[in-house]
Parts: sequence; structure tokens; C-alpha cells
Amino acid sequence: MTASTTAGAAALIREALEVYGDDPQATEALQDYARRLAEPLRVAVAGMVKAGKSTLLNAIIGEEIAPTDTGECTRILTWYRHGHTPRITLHPTAGEPRNLPLKRVDGRLVFVLDGVRAEEVEWLDVEWPSPALQAMTLIDTPGIASLSQDVSARSVRFLTPEDSPSEADAVIYLMRHMHASDLRFLESFRDTEAGRSGTVNAIAVLSRADEVGAGRIDSLLSAAGIAERYSRDPNLRKLALGVVPVAGLLAQSARTLRQPDFEALQLLATLDRAARERMMLSADRFRRSTEPAGLTEDARASLLERYGLFGIRLAVVLIRNGFTEPTPLAHELARRSGLDPLLEVLGLQFQARAGALKARTALAAVGNLLDSRPRQGTDRLAASLERLQANAHEFRELRLLAALRTTGVGLAPELAADAEQLIGGCGAAASRRLGVAPDSGPEVLAAEARRRLVRWRGAAESPLTARSALEACRVVIRSCEGILADCTGRDRMGPAAAVSAGRARST
Amino acid sequence: MTAGQLMKLVEQGLQLVGNGDRSDLRRRLEQAMFRLQDPSIRVIVVGEFKQGKSKLINALVNAPVCPVDDDIATSLPTIVRYGEPASAAVLVPTSDSPAGNGAGDGGDGSVERRPVDLQDLPSLVSEQGNPGNARKLVAAEVCLPRRILTGGLTVIDSPGVGGMGSTHTLTTLTALPTADAMLLVSDSSQEYTEPELRFLRQAMRITPSVAAVLSKTDLYPDWRRVEELDRAHLDQVAPDIPLFPLSADLRLEASRLQDSELNTESGFPALVAHLRNDVVGKAQRIQRRSVSQDLLSVTDNLRLSLQSELEALENPANTPQMLAALEQAKTEADDLRKRSARWQLTLSDGINDLIADMEYDLRDRLRRIQREAESAIDQGDPGPVWTQFSQWLEECVAAAVSDTFVWTSERSQWLAAQVAEHFAADEVSLPVLHVSDSGDALDPVDQMPELDPGRVNPIQKVLIGMRGSYGGVLMFGLLTGIFGMALINPLSVGAGLLLGRKAYREDRETRLKRRQGEAKALVRRQLDDVTFQVGKQLKDRLRLVQRTIRDHFTEIADEYHRSLSDSVAVAQKAANSYAQEKEGRIRDIKAELQKVDALHRAAEAVSAEAAAGGTRTAAGVG
Repeated sequence: MTASTTAGAAALIREALEVYGDDPQATEALQDYARRLAEPLRVAVAGMVKAGKSTLLNAIIGEEIAPTDTGECTRILTWYRHGHTPRITLHPTAGEPRNLPLKRVDGRLVFVLDGVRAEEVEWLDVEWPSPALQAMTLIDTPGIASLSQDVSARSVRFLTPEDSPSEADAVIYLMRHMHASDLRFLESFRDTEAGRSGTVNAIAVLSRADEVGAGRIDSLLSAAGIAERYSRDPNLRKLALGVVPVAGLLAQSARTLRQPDFEALQLLATLDRAARERMMLSADRFRRSTEPAGLTEDARASLLERYGLFGIRLAVVLIRNGFTEPTPLAHELARRSGLDPLLEVLGLQFQARAGALKARTALAAVGNLLDSRPRQGTDRLAASLERLQANAHEFRELRLLAALRTTGVGLAPELAADAEQLIGGCGAAASRRLGVAPDSGPEVLAAEARRRLVRWRGAAESPLTARSALEACRVVIRSCEGILADCTGRDRMGPAAAVSAGRARST
Repeated sequence: MTAGQLMKLVEQGLQLVGNGDRSDLRRRLEQAMFRLQDPSIRVIVVGEFKQGKSKLINALVNAPVCPVDDDIATSLPTIVRYGEPASAAVLVPTSDSPAGNGAGDGGDGSVERRPVDLQDLPSLVSEQGNPGNARKLVAAEVCLPRRILTGGLTVIDSPGVGGMGSTHTLTTLTALPTADAMLLVSDSSQEYTEPELRFLRQAMRITPSVAAVLSKTDLYPDWRRVEELDRAHLDQVAPDIPLFPLSADLRLEASRLQDSELNTESGFPALVAHLRNDVVGKAQRIQRRSVSQDLLSVTDNLRLSLQSELEALENPANTPQMLAALEQAKTEADDLRKRSARWQLTLSDGINDLIADMEYDLRDRLRRIQREAESAIDQGDPGPVWTQFSQWLEECVAAAVSDTFVWTSERSQWLAAQVAEHFAADEVSLPVLHVSDSGDALDPVDQMPELDPGRVNPIQKVLIGMRGSYGGVLMFGLLTGIFGMALINPLSVGAGLLLGRKAYREDRETRLKRRQGEAKALVRRQLDDVTFQVGKQLKDRLRLVQRTIRDHFTEIADEYHRSLSDSVAVAQKAANSYAQEKEGRIRDIKAELQKVDALHRAAEAVSAEAAAGGTRTAAGVG
């Protein structure tokens, strides 16, 4: 599906380059966008200060490389992208970029700025040989609502620039509870992104989910309930595709579980429940405690720092319930921390439509250029832009998704929910669109797609359907046809061909 | 000195005044008595939502009075105070006033207490049982027989700031009168954020007595780091804001296990000591000073007529001279009551200026909002985002209005001090008659010569009385209380971002033009309404302030005047009385004078003790 859209966007940029060939500034920007189309999707991790952005970033990468601290830590925008050898490049606000020495303490990177003040650094570029970064480039941002105003201002400027599309194609927005500042920020992000069709590139994460229930063993259940409520909240629905609860600290540490940690946890599991409870009344007590004998104070402090009270409680319970090997324990902890669902959502919502999201950014850039520097001969370019925006089915889907979530299109509630699913609101894969098991065969998918197609053709022809909803029906019908073509034609031709065939039929 | 002993003194004073014709003095003492009987020291617990405010109160009184939940937040203020036996009630507005934007329904409407079962309370107070405060309750009230609450401590749980729909919940808070102290709660997961400190700065303009609480120390191993960071932030806001790291969970566990070590670890003992000594103690000191001032002034007034009579009886020869001096003082007191008195002019001019300035200030703020709104509407299509836009407008207006309120309140307090200064400068000194010294019978002395002059100056004296008096509470309470809490709504995003560059393609549509026109008209009308309503409210309040100040000082002037008239009358009568009556009358007067003097000395002792107990108090009142 994405191939044609990406190609369309690339062609559009080529066309724009011809028109603006004599404008070096525009040319440079356009070439940059052309390059971006071929690069991995850029995902920014944003949120209020201390929401756990760097911690979650480490968890997604699966390595503890981003520095984290109790105080406000990330003060510089930092890009983490894939590279074959580790390398850090500092881009100052003025002057040439230069390489930074690669220094790590306890595995974490230490940025040796060497006398350069944080305000003088535009951004840091970290290349890292991590497989997780092959699929997407992650951008760690300083927190908003920070006490140092310029730090916050910098993040806001980066994510919602005044006069160009955002540097990030999509956003993972972290929040602890839904704060008014969170909503305001999401609101502003949605706005600048590609004119009207927002809402489709942000996922909200209820971070530090273990703290919601004060570290009780059922904290994550509680957090899941809250996330569920938030995802139904009309305010947030407009601004993000979904809400996922994640215990970031636990997720990070579970993915990097070390043998000494495991042994310490095993020791703790030997204690009887009452003694454990007494000891874990508070973090201070845990650190001071003398039981079990084999555990040094340093080991306790390290456990607390890496897992938190909730993580320790959960790990001990799991060990007592039969997870006696490090690897299964680590997997189970990662699963329970909510990281797996988050990765899944990222895959379904962002990676599956990476092409469309990137193309969207490129289109917005061209649109901006046309607006800000109109000149002779741009009419044809404007027409191409218009055509691409109107005809590329993925954009129509995204636009409809945004409309469904914000203003509504005049469909009955259950039809609207069905439409949202079919156009990829829960994930762009065919099985997610149809709401069937992920491993269903092409026959099942085809049958289901046919059933939906009939239903929506009926809806489109029904005299009871509001006029305003007809356009929505058309988009949904095309989505159904696309799925159908995709799964029936899979054996005969490649998926891309099948889609373009489906598209040709329906237009 | 305890409240009980003070009450005895006031009773003595009431006996001395007797049922005679000095009803003004009697009323003053009765009011003092009333205040002593119902001491209420309000401590409001504030902070962002989900910081553990409710749990803090539960742990403080060791009872589940405020509902605690992982998700659902407190939506109504809960007032926790002393009461035996334990009981609960909800406060319901008596008149069904429409839910205004907080500007219209300031809280003048009276409320009705409706007793409820203690068990039902959580469902009424939380967002879950009472979504969006559909039941239209003003507050909930819980009375508990707890030692910490004796002495009048009243703790108020407030809905968190910064959550969803916080504008709504904050307007309910505004129905509460002013708070004596404030606890700012923030948890140990992170240092203060920008909205929190902004909240603190704003709130300190209203309630200068603030303590910070670092909650949930049990959960975060690094709370000491956070404490350090927070300490540094607090020091930048104001010096000596105390910071208490606490764990409500440990305290609750400690009281379950009766474990005093755990209790110490929870950090609560320090907070309890602070509340008892600094908050309650300070409030009690102010009260003691105000009661002692009342007593001193009453005894001065009583002594004047007794001594004049005694002087006339004992030294009839000096009577004409004395009468002349008394008459002159009376004229002075009379002048003080006249409209042309300097303090009266200061007051009426000051209030008029204040009203004019306030109206200008309000209009100016609202005009700026209107301009921003209009330019935002011009840039985009207001149709699709009208709900958010009107919400934005509402929040902006609420913030602007509360700023005006706070500003007005500060100015009016300043005015009150100004008036007090002028009043004190022109104040009539009550002539104190020295019976034994016949040579110079009339010897006007400084006001309150017996008091340590370094501690209480005349202005403070008048102001102390004012803060303590019923009218004063009304005045200081009204202005600061009403909008006290509604002022905090961090507005970081402008209207421009809301409407954004959403509709650049539709620029030429005439429908868009029409929508923009309609939107602008709506904004203008709305702001016009606000200017009108709020202007009226504020003007009324300022008039009330003016009346309160005037009544307060007029009353004092009246007291002087009556005392002096009485003195003249009794002195004239005494000069004409017979010898045999004289003997008995002199004896009676001397006995009476002795009692008055004893009470005067006792009141002085209280006043000196209160002054010594807190030099900070003097600063706080001045």
C-alpha cells in the first residue's frame, strides 16, 4: 500500500525541486524531505518533565543508553538513530557539528559537552547499532512544563515549529495522569501537523503506571482501567490514537535483567510473606533492612533504583510462582510492564503506516512552500499536491479517521465505530481492520471483508444515510475493497500490485 | 493563657459594664466572647491532582474521611473539624442559583447544612459518585473527636488543580471563606513543575502562611534528592517556607500497629507540631491580642467616667477646669465622627479611586483577551473548535477576573491601613485623671502608654481590632476568599494555536466570513456581560469594604464620644451632690475602679504575652 504513496510524495518533491530549482534554501529543504522519505519513521518521545521519557526510550531500544536521573535530566534534544558503529555528534546552534567522545557509565551514555552550555546545543545525534532503531528513529525531548522555561520552549519549538512541518512524523506522548498541560500540548501538536488531518500520529502512554496504585501489586490493573477511561475520554480521543499504560522503569530493567539482580531477587523470594511486607513498607526500610542476610546494602539500593518497590514485589511474586530462570522472568516482567502492548501498538499504528505518515510530512512541507513563496508556475505543482491529497487512499483514510474522532461525520455510533476500525483506527493490518484473529488465513479475511463490503454498500445506498456521511461511506468501501483485493490477489501478484488493482477498480 | 481563662476575663468585663447604658461596650465584649467560643483556624490543603492530598488528611486525623482512589479524584472540598460525636454533613445552596462562571455567583448565597451518614460521604465527594458535581453541592463537612482538631483547627481538602475540568471544581472552592494557612502538597516522584510553582506564587498573595508537603516518601527511594531540589525552588519563591517530607501510608500503618517508631518515620509529627505551634498558635496569638485590645479599650472607657466622677467628688474646686477639658476632648471626638474628618476623606477618596482603577483594570484585561480572540478568529475557522475555543475564553476570563480580584483586595487592604494611620494620628486621647495629683488634674497621655511601644503601634492597634472584629473578618474574608482559589489556571497556549492554520484552504468561503463574524460578535457580547456583571460585583464589594471600615472606626469614635459625654454628665452631677452621699459614692467608685484596674492589668498581661510570643505576628498584622 505504502509504495505508491511514498512514490507519489517523492514525485511531488521532484516536481517541486524543478519549480524551486533556483532557490537554494527551498532546494535544500526539499532535498531533506526527499531523504526523509527513505529513512526510518521519526518518532518523538514527548511529555511533561519527569514523565519517564528517557526511561521509556531505553525500554523500547532494549538497552540502557539514554541517561536518566531523579532530577530533571534531559535538557538537550537527542536523536537516537541506527548506525553500524556507535557515534555521538553534537550540533551546536552556531558553528560546525563535531563528534563527542563515547563515554558510558554503567552502560549509560554520558554526554561530555566540554564546556559547551546546553543552551548552545541545537541537538545531539546518537548513532547506535540497535536493531530496534532500524525500524524507527527515536527522538528524546526535554520535558514541557519544566522550571527552566527555555528547556520547555525548546521542546515545544521542535515539536510544533511555527513555519514548517514538524521534524517528527509521529509522537509518543507520555503522561502520568491527564494534566491540563498535557491536553494543551497535544492540542498544539495536532494543529500544526499537515493542516487539517491531525489526530492520527500520536499515541498517549500512561507512563510510570506502577505508581498509579502506589506500588501495590495490582497497580497495573488499576492503571489499565485508567488508560481505558482516558482512551474513551472525548478530549483525548481527538488528540491521540490510543492510551497504553506502561511501567517504564520496570520495562527498561526487565529488558536488561542482569544475573546479580536475578540472584538478589531470588534471595528475597526466600523470605516469608510477612517479613517481606514489613520490609517493603517503605523504600527507606527496604534499604535499611538486614534480612535476608546475603543481600548487601548496595545490592538493595541498586534493586530499588532499577525496579522500584513495585518491580521488586512483582518479581518476587513471579519467582515464587515458578519463574525460576532469568530469561522467562525477564520476559514475564516485560510483558506485565505493559511494554509489549506498547510495542505492538507502535507497530500497528506507526510502522504499518510509516509510508503514509512520512509522505504526509513531505506533502505538508510542499504545501507550506507554496503558501509562503508563491511564484510563477506553481499552479501545476499545487494541482499535483491537491490530486495526491485527494486521491491517495491512505490520506483519505487518515483524514476520515481524524474527522471521525473529532467532529464526527454524521454516521450512527455503531457504524462510526465500524468505520474507524475498517480504515485502520485500531491498526493498519488487515486482521486488525476486520477485527479477526491475527493468524487468520486469507479465506477468513476475504469472507469477512466481503461481508463488511456488502454492509457498507448498503449503508451508502440507504436513503437514511445522511448526505454528509456519504463521502465517509465511499472511503470505507474503498478500504474494504483494498483488503479484499489484497487477500484474494496475494497468491497471484505482489501485494502492492493487488492494491493498485483494487484502487483502479474502485475509482 | 488558654481560651477558657480569656473567656473568664471577658465575662468579668461584661459584669463591669453591667446592664447599664453602655450597650456599645457591651456589644464589643459580646463579639469578643463569640469569637472565643468558636475559634476556627482553616488550613487548606492544595496541590495538583493525584498528589495524595486526601490521604494526607486521612492520615492526619487517622480516619478515612476523604475518599482515596487510584483514578477518581476529589471533586468537592471537604471540611474536617472537631466535633463530638463524629458526624458528617453536606452543604447545599439554599437558593437554586444557576451555575455561573464563578464571577456571578460569588458565594453570597447562604448554604444549608444537610446531615448525611458518614459512610455515604465518599460517594458524594468523589468524581465517581458525583460526576461534574451534578448534585450541586458546595462542600462536605466532617466532624471528628480528634485531639489534633481541638483548638479550632479545621482542615480542608481541596480538589486538585490542573486536572480535567479544574475550572469547574475551583469555582466551588470559592464559596469557602478565606484560609488562615495553606499546605501545598507535591509528591516525591519529581521536583516542582512550573505550574506548581506558579500556583504557589499566586496563592501566596492570598494566604502568606504556607507550608509545603512532600508526600509519598515511602514509594520513592530518591525522595531526599527531590527534597533538596524542592527546597532550592522554595527558597527562590520566599525564604522560610517549611517543607515536610511525609508518608501517609506509613502513618496509617503506624496507627494500625500502634508503632511510634513508624510514626516518627512517617514524618507526621513534624507537621503536627507545625500546625499546632505555628498555625494554630499564631492564630490564637492574634486572637488573644485582639481580645486583650478589646478589654483594654473597654476598661479605658469605663475608667474615664468613674475617674471623672471621683475627681469631681473629691476635688469639687477643679471641676470647671476638668469639665472644660472633657468638653474639648468631646468636640475632638465629635470631629472624628464627622464626614469631614481626615480619615473619612481618605476612605471615601480612596474607595472612589479604587473603583475607578478597578474598572479600568478589568476592562483592560478583558480587552486584551478580546483582541487576542478576534485575531485568532480572523486567522482560522472558529466553527469546528468552538467548544474548545469557548472553554479557552472562559478560562482566560476567569484568570483575568481573579487577577483583578486579588489586585483589588491588595489595594483595599492597603487603603484600610492608610485609613487606620490617619485615624490613629487624629485619635482623641482619653484624658486620664490623676485623683491624687490635684495640681495638674488633666494630663492627656499617649495612647496605650502601658504597652511596649516597640511592638504595637497605633495603626496596628486599630488594625488588630479590625481583623478580629466581625466586620473585619467579613471584609478580609470576602475579598480574598471568593476568588482566592480560582486564580490558578496556567494558560500556556494562546487562542491562535487552538484555531491554528486549520483552514487556509477555505479562505475565500463567504460562509467562513460569516462564521467569523458571528464568533466575534459572541465573544464581544460575552466579554461585555462579564465586564458588566463582574464590575457590579466588585463595586458592591468595595462599597461593602468601605462601609465596614467606616463602621469600624465610627464605632471607636462613638465609644470615645459617649465615654466623654458620660464623664461630663457624671462630673456635673457629682458637683451638685450632697456630702453624705459623697462618702458612700466615693467608696463605691473606688471599689469599682479597683476591679476595672485589675481587669486592665490582666488584659495588659495577655497582650504583652501575645506580643512576646510572636514578633512575626506583629509583622503579619501590620
